[in-house]
Amino acid sequence: MRRYVQTPGPIGEFSELSLAQRAGPLDLLYTGYGLLVVVVVVASYVLGAFGWLSHDPQAINVGLINAPPFTSGHLLGTDFLGRDLQARLILGIQAYFLPGLLAITISVAGGSILGVLAGYKGGWFDTIITYFDNLLDSFPRLVLILLVIAAFKPDIYYVMVVVGITGMPVIANLIAGKIAFLRQKSFIEAAHALGLPAHTVVLKHILWLNCRALLVIQATLGMAEAILVETSLSYLGFGVQEPTPSWGNMVQAGANYFLQGNFWPSTAPALAILATILGLQLLGDGLNNLLEGKRRK
Amino acid sequence: MAMDAGPLLAIENLRTYFYSRAKRAFIRSVDGVSLGVARGETLGIVGESGSGKSVTALSAAGLVTAGPGVISGRIDLHSNGTRRNLLEGLENYARFTEQDGRVMAVEKDERGWRKHSDTLMAGVRGKEIAMIFQNPRSALNPYSTIGKQLVETIRLHTNFKRESEAKERAIHWLERVRIDSPGLRFDNFPFGLSGGMCQRAMIAMALSAEPSLLIADEPTTGLDATIQSRIVDLLAQLKTETGITTLLISHDISVIQRLSDRIAVMYGGTVVETGRAAEVLAPQATARHPYTAALLASIPSAETIRRKSYLQAIEGEVLDTIEVPRGCRFYGRCNRVTDAIRENCAGIEPPLAEIAPGHKVRCWLYPAAEKA
Amino acid sequence: MSRTILEVTDLRKDYSQRRGLFSMLTGQGRVIPAVDGVSFYLRENETVGLVGESGCGKTTIGRTVLRLTDPSSGRIVFDGRDITKMSRAELRPLRREMQMIFQDLDAGLNPRMRVRNILREALTVHERPGDAEIAGRIRELLEQVSLKESKLANFPSELSGGEKRRVGIARVLAVRPRLIVADEPTSALDISIQAQVVNLLRDLQKNLGLTYLFISHDLPVVELVSQKVAVMYLGRIVEMGLAENIAHQPRHPYTGVLWSSLADKQTTEVTRRVTNVTVERERRTWGVFDFEQPASGCRFAPRCPLYKDKGRPAVCTDPASEPQLRDVGHGHVVACHFA
Repeated sequence: MRRYVQTPGPIGEFSELSLAQRAGPLDLLYTGYGLLVVVVVVASYVLGAFGWLSHDPQAINVGLINAPPFTSGHLLGTDFLGRDLQARLILGIQAYFLPGLLAITISVAGGSILGVLAGYKGGWFDTIITYFDNLLDSFPRLVLILLVIAAFKPDIYYVMVVVGITGMPVIANLIAGKIAFLRQKSFIEAAHALGLPAHTVVLKHILWLNCRALLVIQATLGMAEAILVETSLSYLGFGVQEPTPSWGNMVQAGANYFLQGNFWPSTAPALAILATILGLQLLGDGLNNLLEGKRRK
Repeated sequence: MAMDAGPLLAIENLRTYFYSRAKRAFIRSVDGVSLGVARGETLGIVGESGSGKSVTALSAAGLVTAGPGVISGRIDLHSNGTRRNLLEGLENYARFTEQDGRVMAVEKDERGWRKHSDTLMAGVRGKEIAMIFQNPRSALNPYSTIGKQLVETIRLHTNFKRESEAKERAIHWLERVRIDSPGLRFDNFPFGLSGGMCQRAMIAMALSAEPSLLIADEPTTGLDATIQSRIVDLLAQLKTETGITTLLISHDISVIQRLSDRIAVMYGGTVVETGRAAEVLAPQATARHPYTAALLASIPSAETIRRKSYLQAIEGEVLDTIEVPRGCRFYGRCNRVTDAIRENCAGIEPPLAEIAPGHKVRCWLYPAAEKA
Repeated sequence: MSRTILEVTDLRKDYSQRRGLFSMLTGQGRVIPAVDGVSFYLRENETVGLVGESGCGKTTIGRTVLRLTDPSSGRIVFDGRDITKMSRAELRPLRREMQMIFQDLDAGLNPRMRVRNILREALTVHERPGDAEIAGRIRELLEQVSLKESKLANFPSELSGGEKRRVGIARVLAVRPRLIVADEPTSALDISIQAQVVNLLRDLQKNLGLTYLFISHDLPVVELVSQKVAVMYLGRIVEMGLAENIAHQPRHPYTGVLWSSLADKQTTEVTRRVTNVTVERERRTWGVFDFEQPASGCRFAPRCPLYKDKGRPAVCTDPASEPQLRDVGHGHVVACHFA
């Protein structure tokens, strides 16, 4: 049974409604949670960067090994060396934060340029870039990363460059597709006909006004990808090495004690990974619906 | 012919509403429409966008899926000796509350109604009521040849159940819609056919089921000018040959004029005029709805062209069926309002009243309306 | 005698269809002439109508003439200047003088920009007016196209078809053009709104001295607004002359067929006659054509009632003698062996 009620009184125009009114409740929830995660992560990163931590993340306390959460002084407990988990989690963010930003900067910037060239110029550009995209897509990312690690050094920034580059095709395709759509509606042609210079058409009309939502969303998803890659590598032992904490290697370290009944040292970082990635993905999804949502008439 | 008395299709007080979540208001697409199509006649519904003409047709065929959809009315179909209401039991699934004579809230069990409606329409849609649409190519299955689709329809809806006889019938129908080389075209896919031919194929599919009623929703829109006239010719020929009852919807007045026996003019979700085609569209008619008159005047006539004079355009925008005014829906754009009736026009919606036998108009200018 | 503002000579626009990797690499491919040698001219403050069925190339001509796409060959002279090969940079200042009203109602209307900003952008492309001047000009534009001021705050998605069309026209008027190519300005609009737009365009022409190339398939409207009409078929102009002559005394069989398709729909009109052949007699369904392989000789032969009537004369299908436009008196030109 569905109920429809008309508001008594005058009927407003769509553009007058605020964002909150126009949105669906689920999307607001997703976006809200996602933003919360982002805020927490960024705040924690700042804390860690300035060293404003309650405990020294490297301080070993043999007397308090694998302490559960809510132990006095250690809100989230300690790991197998008695080090404070909360502090280590916060520090662990550094493992992926800046590198992740590098990755998304490369893929968004690079992808945009390729996408615009392919869509806007069309013709040969389109063909070459499509082939290039397909080429990149067909490489298994993890293999490529491991190759880079083997060939150069196991530096997370090198890895993130690869992640960034392999993330370009998706964005390029999305933007080229958006341009194809706009072109179909004589949109770009009309802008030219008026006399608008090419750079205005591309930067203002295409990228800023029509693609910014798309790019923001891809950035959040790209960050989630980057986190996944970094933590996976660290888990496997290829990324950040002990004693420097990374959520990935913390999971790894705690794994040894899992079967002894000490679930927490492994679970805490795992939950952190889960919550963060979920938050970013939901943020992407929620923003997608909010910003790109069809204006429902 | 007692059994044949009465219209083939009688739509009574149909209301089909949609809802705009953004504006939190109802879109009153069909707002109390009553129409009748007599056996063997072609009723042409003409109107602009937002008039509700297409939605009326879709409601009759039970094809409205968006919510809330059909909320009240009767659609009686008299065919094959039986008479049934295609909206039987609607009251059990849709309830609404009014305020000031206007529907302000609707409760509808959409899933339940859909199931119920499908049961009511089983055996009717496709078989007794056939539809042809705009954009013929998109209405046909792109993955199947037109021959196969025809055979499928024939086997489903007629007594020609065997593959071989169905194929014969299919080719027969392709001939009747004047497709060249029907034997070859049988194996064509829709993308291999021109727009005009796709439309002919769709007409063949609709008629091969030997329906009692054909609903044609903008059958010529989107086709090239020369092809349009061919399709109109075809429909006229088929009409004489088969005597089929047709509900024709179009915004193209010349198409309506050529094919209709009777015409209904719709505006803003209601019928504003009905009558015989010759009467409603006659260039020198005196008694008619101001909207009809204005619509006809906005088309360049030979005289206007010769004198290169300006067209008599109707002021203002076509009615958006969300903000439906009190009073006559055409009041804001009407150029024939007099002081004597102004108050009525602004405040009370005129009823549809007969001004001459078979000719009804919804306008306060006509004394019959006042009496009603 | 007003001056010629646009002169097009032997315009040709080919589209190549590249198929497969191989032909792409070798640069081969089938060449489809969308516009195949078209010549005409427009005088200032005049309206020339361009009619034909879909696929005949009329939209392509519109776009090519404004250099929105480059011609394959031929010459385009705008106001005495040869713009055929001008670079984008050279063209930019000229752009303001020649504008296009696109068939698509949404063209040029960025869904994320309010009407006010769309107009403001148009006003600042070629000039740098101050804020007060912009406000004044916006008001002026709204008045010229009869648009309510309340619409300024709306997004394109909130506008009706007619309103979108008006905003599109206002946007184009903002740069003060002299020539406007109107590509199907009334299609996709309701009949009553079409009349409004046609009246509006005529008013604007009168008040602003505009010149129109009016591309449309709505024949009565074309006849109403145009002084001259050119009829196109498969990329070529097959007949051109004064509007009344084209409509009532066509010399080319295709023109007759085109205008009579109108008559078929309205039984009240008299059937057109083309020379001595009544087009009414043509009842056979026409086959689909393959644009890529135009018939040799006269392109219209397969559909031509005259061709059949005269017993399929060889000259119509002779590849060496495609009919050229001939003057049949008073500037009226026809491309037919028998006109």
